[in-house]
Amino acid sequence: MNRFLSVTFRVSLGLILAFITLPLLVVLVASVSPTARIVFEPSLWTTKWYGALMSSRWIDPFLLSVELALIVTVLSGLFGLLAAFAVAYEKCPGHAAIMSFLLSPLSVPQIVKGVAIVLFLSSTGFYTLLGTPGLIMAHVILTLPFVVRMIAGAMFNVDKRLDLAARVLGANRLQRIRHILLPLIKPGLFSGMTFAFILSFNNIPLSVFLVRPGETTLPITVINHLEYSLDPVLAAVNVASLLFILAAVFLFERIGGFSTQIHGGSK
Amino acid sequence: MTTIELQSPFEPKRHRGFTLRPYASLVPPSTVLLLFFALPMGMMIGLSFHGSDGQEWTIANYQRFFTDDLMMAGLGRTMLMSGLVAICVTVMAYPLAYYLARATSRWRMVVFALAIAPELAGVVLRTYGWLVILEDRGFVNSILLWAGLISEPLPLSRSMFGVVAGLTHVVLPFGVLSLMTSLQGINPNLEKAAQVLGASRPAVLRHIVLPLSVPGIVSSLLIAFTMAASAYATPALLGGAGFKVLATMVYEQVLFYIDWPFAAVMANVLLVAMLVAVFIGSRIEARLHNKLHL
Amino acid sequence: MSTMDIELIAVSKSYGANRVVDNIDLSIPAGEFVSILGPSGCGKTTTLNMIAGFSDPSGGDIRIRGRSQLGVPPEKRGIGLVFQNYALFPHMTVAENVAFGLKMKGVPRAETETEVQSALRRVHLQGFEQRYPKELSGGQQQRTALARAIAPKPSLLLLDEPLSNLDLKLREAMRIELKEIQEELGMTFIYVTHDQDEAMAMSDRIVVMHGGLVAQEGKPDDIYDNPQSRFVADFIGKSNLLPVSSLRAEGEATIVVLEDGLALTVASSESPGVIRYCCLRPEAVRLTPAGEALPSTVNRIDGTLTRIVNLGAYRECFVTLSSGTVLKSLVRSTRLPDLRVGQSVVLSIDPDTVQLLEG
Repeated sequence: MNRFLSVTFRVSLGLILAFITLPLLVVLVASVSPTARIVFEPSLWTTKWYGALMSSRWIDPFLLSVELALIVTVLSGLFGLLAAFAVAYEKCPGHAAIMSFLLSPLSVPQIVKGVAIVLFLSSTGFYTLLGTPGLIMAHVILTLPFVVRMIAGAMFNVDKRLDLAARVLGANRLQRIRHILLPLIKPGLFSGMTFAFILSFNNIPLSVFLVRPGETTLPITVINHLEYSLDPVLAAVNVASLLFILAAVFLFERIGGFSTQIHGGSK
Repeated sequence: MTTIELQSPFEPKRHRGFTLRPYASLVPPSTVLLLFFALPMGMMIGLSFHGSDGQEWTIANYQRFFTDDLMMAGLGRTMLMSGLVAICVTVMAYPLAYYLARATSRWRMVVFALAIAPELAGVVLRTYGWLVILEDRGFVNSILLWAGLISEPLPLSRSMFGVVAGLTHVVLPFGVLSLMTSLQGINPNLEKAAQVLGASRPAVLRHIVLPLSVPGIVSSLLIAFTMAASAYATPALLGGAGFKVLATMVYEQVLFYIDWPFAAVMANVLLVAMLVAVFIGSRIEARLHNKLHL
Repeated sequence: MSTMDIELIAVSKSYGANRVVDNIDLSIPAGEFVSILGPSGCGKTTTLNMIAGFSDPSGGDIRIRGRSQLGVPPEKRGIGLVFQNYALFPHMTVAENVAFGLKMKGVPRAETETEVQSALRRVHLQGFEQRYPKELSGGQQQRTALARAIAPKPSLLLLDEPLSNLDLKLREAMRIELKEIQEELGMTFIYVTHDQDEAMAMSDRIVVMHGGLVAQEGKPDDIYDNPQSRFVADFIGKSNLLPVSSLRAEGEATIVVLEDGLALTVASSESPGVIRYCCLRPEAVRLTPAGEALPSTVNRIDGTLTRIVNLGAYRECFVTLSSGTVLKSLVRSTRLPDLRVGQSVVLSIDPDTVQLLEG
């Protein structure tokens, strides 16, 4: 490896990684700086901004975001499973075309999807669905293709001979699904659901159109405030948000066991 | 980007005649997609052909869009911004992706996590960070002023510079993933073979790695371009009030002007632009693949 | 200035606590075809990588034509390497692939072209200049890889199991071609393989590796006829390996008593160490049906034929002795066409052909 990393390469890599981490570090420091200007002296650091997070101003949107993300995750997971089933396990006639249909939202920019849904709901008179129900639907549309792709991918990776072996040993379809297929795709299912969770929780482009006063998500609340000032509380909100996501990912990984999917390398 | 070659490991069912049973599980997901995606999209396309004063079936709003100076300026700005982001992302992602594709040390996991993790932080956190860095009283300016290199703060945020920096940061993980997959597909023995034949590291890069990674580069440029062109939050926050791109203009049309047919027009233009870009891009990629005799 | 083309002096390689190559010494004179033979995991690939310069030895020195190669990167070593999966540049034609090494050296265009032509002619690929690797068959790709490696006239050529991806008939034909090319060029070839037939067929010298060490080194015949260890006896060719319990002298000969009670007369052993095994090659175990005349009366053993494995030109006969030991005997199929399982047979072994091993 030492032969491979020439100095120029190492330096460029370092600079790029610095570029990536700089904003994150800055936000971290800003969240503990006493004023709007960030300071790098640890002795001046304070946690008062984190204390301010406990107001309903932040808690309410946070809870809505969490609730939304959980519902969307479960729905995507469920629908994704059902869809991947037909396309990747049953391999029903026309599965290629159906798969394209299921993945089609991926080609449409989020903004466009958002516009379409909001126009749809407004012009068809379903005003009442704006707000949380609309958000749920929009987020499901957003996340579903990703989840389907990940679960279908996991199903394709299952050695078909395992299913045949189970058949020879006398297992019927339901038993094979329960004992062979589902356990083997569990990592794929959970990594898909984790992805859906993150996507939904952090989402902005879709959500901007569907939130209502009193029913906004956390990211939208933050950007509304950002337009006026760089209040350090926002930094604290962001950091807390990130920690929450990390905890959620960790939890999902514990249940689903997909960490091996992240490793890789050439060969 | 969304085509998948299906090679199911499972045998197709022996046909006892055509049954509807396998399709049963497709009903819930398909209903959702039809109701909340296909239908709204169809309606939106139809709506774009409405006149703003209630007439049906006119291209008046399209004409309006393409002749409006502000709109065209916005479109141009969107393209320029996306192009710059595409280049910046690809240039930065390349060394990172090469390292991730070839390295075997334990640092690899760390670098990988660092490259991908910002995605978890969300756009807001990163945009806030960039605002703090680029603001008039922010990080960069403070250092430059303190060092005496400038006498007045540089307008880095609320400008194209800020937006490109912020968007590059947001899109970079995807560029890295895309390039990494492409570079992993290049047989590492090819580089070793070139070395044994006397090629220095720069020569290996020039003659072997770069030529063979061109399809991956095109793919990365494409992904970055499309993501940047449809971005909303970063241009809105880092660009300042006057920085209009397609996504922010659409937002205005829907929520402020409430001119829905016009908004539909803009959304459609964005959609078509994206589809065309993806189509052209995949064609170029396919042709390059052939040309490189891979 | 050394006449050795390549020397490995006390070379070792460790990954953490794992000693993959353990203090090996090797000297290879110019112009020889040397095979490094061993099972997977024996360290032969690691050794190859160190000679090529892809990794540095943890200890020891590697010298090419007397000059130490420590710290010298692969591109400056002036050696050739043929990869197992060829590693042909897919985006270049055959001619461009073969010319690559010359191009890196800065050889002018006209001279490069002549060299490329000459290399292609040597591997019998004239006319293939404009083809791309993906259009070539396995054998043609292999030959292109060879041409590419020899075109820049390296001081020696490393070959990493280059024939393992080819089917049997092609492999056998290529062995002869490779040997011919090596002899024509007069270049040192270092050939890494796990296939002992290949090593035996092509090499002037074989280095057998096992567990990171050199188990034995020598001419193919020497290794076959005089294995120095149980591993080599077992790895090269077929053998009957029998544990020894004691030795005693009887006049000019030595009597070896095996653990199962059998006693064999062998030619004198000069080994200073403790003999633990005795090795009998199946072709040295002569089989005669009971009742027929024996070729000699020395080392006469009775047994029953319990299994016959048909190897085409030969039959491998498993003979069970009264002690329970099973000996393998190789019999030409034409000599005893009427062999039957269950038959009583008599084995006889020439004392000169018994190998005594320390371990």
